[in-house]
Amino acid sequence: MNGTPRALNRILLVTIGAILLAIGALALALAVVPAAGPWWHNVAEAIQARMHALFEQTTLEGQRDSWLWIVLAVLTVLLIVGMVAWAANQGKGRTSDFAGDFGQERDGGRVLISGSVAEQALKGALAERTDLVNATVAAYKIKGEPGLRVRLHPRPGVAPYIIAEEVSELVRALDAVVGVSRPVLISMGAGARTKFVRAERVR
Amino acid sequence: MSAEETERAPDPATAGILRRETHASRAAASVLAAGLVTVFAVYCLFEAALKAFGQEPWLLAPEQAWEWISNLPSGIDPLALGAVGALIFLLGLYFFLNAVLPGRRSRHIIPNPRAAVVVDNEVIASSLARRARAEAGVTPEQVLVTVSRRLVEVNVRPTSGIPVDEAAIAEAVEDELIRTPVKPLPDVRVKVSAEGVIGV
Repeated sequence: MNGTPRALNRILLVTIGAILLAIGALALALAVVPAAGPWWHNVAEAIQARMHALFEQTTLEGQRDSWLWIVLAVLTVLLIVGMVAWAANQGKGRTSDFAGDFGQERDGGRVLISGSVAEQALKGALAERTDLVNATVAAYKIKGEPGLRVRLHPRPGVAPYIIAEEVSELVRALDAVVGVSRPVLISMGAGARTKFVRAERVR
Repeated sequence: MSAEETERAPDPATAGILRRETHASRAAASVLAAGLVTVFAVYCLFEAALKAFGQEPWLLAPEQAWEWISNLPSGIDPLALGAVGALIFLLGLYFFLNAVLPGRRSRHIIPNPRAAVVVDNEVIASSLARRARAEAGVTPEQVLVTVSRRLVEVNVRPTSGIPVDEAAIAEAVEDELIRTPVKPLPDVRVKVSAEGVIGV
């Protein structure tokens, strides 16, 4: 439930994947199919002729090389910046504000409830449960609106529907305390600790 | 909680969370792809900048690189070219399939009126295994449950000499599944192995 740009991920992965597939297929064909060699020489010559003409046109008088190299350098800088921004956006979305009258002018000040209030309240309530090995609570921003992500690791054999019902009751209690109802995710998984403990001790 | 309340369609925010949580984000493949493109772009940047300033090339002049590429497959061992080609092809296939496949995660949704609830299949399997074990009266090691999107498979190895009731196990597991109203609801298949276990 974080801000990972999923549509962008798919678009860029399809593009990069298709380019790599084409390059790989060309290299494989050149290595395996004898007839691909002469064909590739013709294609390469045609590309070279076109590029040569382009570079001739773009070389200023008195210069050794075309100014296209400067354009290429600028484009690669933009590409690097874009790639770093893309990678940096994965898994983003943690927020510190959970509730409050954001952005509204109010007389007598504004009320903000930090995400750690909700995190600590739920964590404290979940820590008392013996059927959970571990619980983490974090506030995330979903499309500009804050929400809570509750990740639980139940002990082996515990029925997930009981946990879901009881934890959602805790969430309702939190709603009543905070005064607003935010989207909440309850996610249950088998963590490393629940996977490797001896079965007979817990079942 | 009334049945009516449970069946109600989740609000848009919760539905969005459920969709995201049951599908892969492709973050790992994206970071890998971004890293590879960045490394390649940094090298291109160096060579293009050196060329633009009229300096000597760093590793290989672009003209030489192009000449080498346009003269393929001569100038390199065909085996090496094939290996490199296959490697690039597989990497491209990895990225391509990652983007194109639906990317469902091995999780189920439990409808809940307040929150979006998702459960990893392992957790469901472990709770079903406990129920099946109690019904069959065997030790935890004798029951193996695998949960997939559409099927729950229960494998029971009975204790030698003590028969187990296959239908009763299936009924118990189905009952547990219906209590856990996972979406989509998988079918239950119970397999009791012909060989018993001794020494348990």
